[in-house]
Amino acid sequence: MAELKPEDLINFGKKAINVATKKGANEAEAFLSEILSTTVNIERGQIAKNMRKKDQGLGIRVVCNKSVGFSYTNVLTDKSIEQTAIEAFHTAKASKPDKNWGGFSSPKRFSSTQNAYDKKLVALSSDELVEIASIMLNEAASFDNRVFVAEGSVETHVSSRTVVNSYGVEAFDEGTRIDCGLATIAREGQEVTPICQEFNAERVYKIDPKWIGKEAAKKAISSLKARKIESGDLTVVFDQVALYLLLYFTFINAIKADQVQRKQSALEGKIGEKIASELVTIYDDGLMANGLQTWKFDCEGVPCQKTPIIEKGVLRHYLYDCYTANKDGVQSTGNALRAGFGAQYMLTPIIQATNFTLTSGSKSPEDLIKDVDNGILVQFLQGAHSSNPSSGEFSVVATPAWKIEKGEIAYAVKGAMLAGRIFDVLNNVSALGNNMRKIEQLVAPWITSEKVRVIGK
Amino acid sequence: MKDELTRIIDSGQKLGAEYVEVRAQRLFRTVITSKDSRIEVVRKGIENGAAIRVLVNGAWGFASNGTLEPKQLMDSVSEACRMAKAASLRVKEPAKLADIKTIEARVTIKPKANPKEVPTEKKINMLLAEDKIIFDCDKNVKSCTINYLDISGTNYFANSDKTYIEQDKLYLYLSTVVWAREADKLALGSDVVGYTTGFEVFETETPEKIGRRAAMRSLDQLKAKTPKGGTYPAIIGPQIIGVFAHEAFGHLAEADLTLAGSVLIDKLGKKVGSEIVNIVDDGTIEGAIGTYKYDDEGVPAQKTPLIKNGEIVGLMHNRETAQKYGTKPTGNARAEDFRYEPIIRQRNTYFTKGDRSFEEMLEDIKLGYYIKNYRGGQANLDGTFQVGVQEAHEIVNGELGASVRNVSFSGNTLETLYRVDAVGKDFELNVGVCGKGQAAFCGAGGPHTRVKEVLIGGGA
Repeated sequence: MAELKPEDLINFGKKAINVATKKGANEAEAFLSEILSTTVNIERGQIAKNMRKKDQGLGIRVVCNKSVGFSYTNVLTDKSIEQTAIEAFHTAKASKPDKNWGGFSSPKRFSSTQNAYDKKLVALSSDELVEIASIMLNEAASFDNRVFVAEGSVETHVSSRTVVNSYGVEAFDEGTRIDCGLATIAREGQEVTPICQEFNAERVYKIDPKWIGKEAAKKAISSLKARKIESGDLTVVFDQVALYLLLYFTFINAIKADQVQRKQSALEGKIGEKIASELVTIYDDGLMANGLQTWKFDCEGVPCQKTPIIEKGVLRHYLYDCYTANKDGVQSTGNALRAGFGAQYMLTPIIQATNFTLTSGSKSPEDLIKDVDNGILVQFLQGAHSSNPSSGEFSVVATPAWKIEKGEIAYAVKGAMLAGRIFDVLNNVSALGNNMRKIEQLVAPWITSEKVRVIGK
Repeated sequence: MKDELTRIIDSGQKLGAEYVEVRAQRLFRTVITSKDSRIEVVRKGIENGAAIRVLVNGAWGFASNGTLEPKQLMDSVSEACRMAKAASLRVKEPAKLADIKTIEARVTIKPKANPKEVPTEKKINMLLAEDKIIFDCDKNVKSCTINYLDISGTNYFANSDKTYIEQDKLYLYLSTVVWAREADKLALGSDVVGYTTGFEVFETETPEKIGRRAAMRSLDQLKAKTPKGGTYPAIIGPQIIGVFAHEAFGHLAEADLTLAGSVLIDKLGKKVGSEIVNIVDDGTIEGAIGTYKYDDEGVPAQKTPLIKNGEIVGLMHNRETAQKYGTKPTGNARAEDFRYEPIIRQRNTYFTKGDRSFEEMLEDIKLGYYIKNYRGGQANLDGTFQVGVQEAHEIVNGELGASVRNVSFSGNTLETLYRVDAVGKDFELNVGVCGKGQAAFCGAGGPHTRVKEVLIGGGA
């Protein structure tokens, strides 16, 4: 992709490891990441900004007597890499031993991935991205004069990850991605709708900017004339975005092995138990074709894999990285990710889901709605990040949302809150759609859950 | 550095840019994470890089690069100009910048204990001491994660208006999360502190104080019941009124979001709340997390009144939105680091003090809630807000009652501002990390504040 070739990156990694082991480290692991992104931003109804970002760097984990040090740099020269490895060695020396430390990964064969890299995306010029953004924008703006485009963007990424460690792992993989999204509101008289969004996110060049523009506008218009509703236990149809927000901040945390081991998870000791409706089957598939989180290996150089999480409502497996797998005497599931504030090379691994897939049902979205007598359709949850990741409790605003009465969308709902526990929502799933869609870590259809507490007036 | 940055600016102007700005950084960061009495990792690193922003025919081009190599930065400036030209073909309303005074400045920070010079062992021991305090609080404490962060170094800024600023950066941040469990009940409590001062601050804000606060928050919740959902009067504590000031109101008053269609779009100079409501965004409070001398467009930070006696008197601006509004920039343009372009961000945002005591405010409430400590909040352009709460109590007949758990409250920002009927005489400022596509340290706070009616989203 960028100036650096895979062998250059691997050599930088090897260099760092050699310095650390020569100093006296027991083991060492280098991680390198590069990212090149191009973005066109839409602001206040017009194309306003065009950005290109380039960043690359190296992070090295060094272990001395089971105590872990880490250092990183974004200056990729021999001298700087040497200093970084030495710094990591010193921080390991300054730190405290961890009796559960189980070592870095050993070399394994990686499966190949499909549709995770597209040359066409790499070749897209900023002029072409501006054109895509214009199509999206014009489609939304011409749909209805009450629609206002608040913001939007078209963004391509090319990125790579490299893992090298002192056990002989030498791994390089690269991927592409395109994201197009538009956020709209509609205004009529004194009424302003909440933000309504539509998007495409793909690993290959397969997008439909016209559709995005039109759908984002349509959603905003249908959010007008919103009314408050009475409180009650209602049937709720969750769109994928709403479901993603809910699962990401609750359930996905509860199946991370570190949270389970540290007694933070309500699912501790529940493997083999029924924890969700029989309709619910979930697996985490790090190798899914065209998956947004698909890579050959994770951020510790462990092969990505497909891991069953829930089968017909029964909990099967937690998500592991090397450290937690060693503690439980099992194999890592390849779920180590470097994520948080800053670039990947600045970070040490945490456990995260890859393509967390809730398997499809057979009903069309229209049929899901048709089956609801008294309920709401929810497309976004405001405040999902304030949920309790431990207990799975949430208390959020459903917006935009629509009231469903006797099998039909009746009107937009204003300011309704949903409250409950994620485990109850999963237990009360009564129907699954057939409209699979991916958003960040989630791949899922619309789902219907019964008796969700809705607080209205 | 000045000469190098000036050469880049000259080159951008030759390529046809009407405005060029270069931000370079040399920053050092230390992060230490402890989990359940073990040090998971100590992370230390260097981040060098530069961001170049240009305006060509009224469109923005931006290029960032993780390097300070002059040759590569020359490539970046032509890249930025190319990007801007591509966007400019579609620009309907060209961006223009409000004039500012040319500044040449060197801002140095000389704390008593520069975190860069404090030995790593000392930082590690502080975390382990706090961890021990937390576990010693109660046998129901099951787990605890502490994250320590310090950032130090220097930012360099130059633009084609001949402003040149070198500004030291210093941030300290410590977040603590405690999990407690009793039988099937799980609870978590957290605490966050952050400063733009030296490491000596931990002599007064000690690990004991911080650890005990976080532990008690999680333990209290074990005894708590779920609230009844519905509309109730509430006393909102300083931490949450700060989150409200920042999330529910502040974002709507960021001029870029106001122009994007927030409910404040036509409210400047109009009344939006009760007479006793006063909100300020202040970049000048010494040592506070949201404080700095110059923003990332080279504009001096200031104290910006947003609501005065219930009326909108100002918005938060960068140079572009200030020009659109025909006003002066307020120094709110901030970029997380070289990877990002400066956008309008809040600094320390708060309700100013009133004259009521907490007891007086309690007296009049028959049945309501005291909402004390938050977990997160989010607002929408239409003014719908949600604030998730980790610590709250019932108020029954003018007295504090039982603790409640899994509470959040929601409403419409402007309706809620009108329902404020008492403002306390106390004041507290707290710390948060705000995400608006990029992260920013922000302060938020205010006094205890009473609201006649909010929607409480309780459990079943």
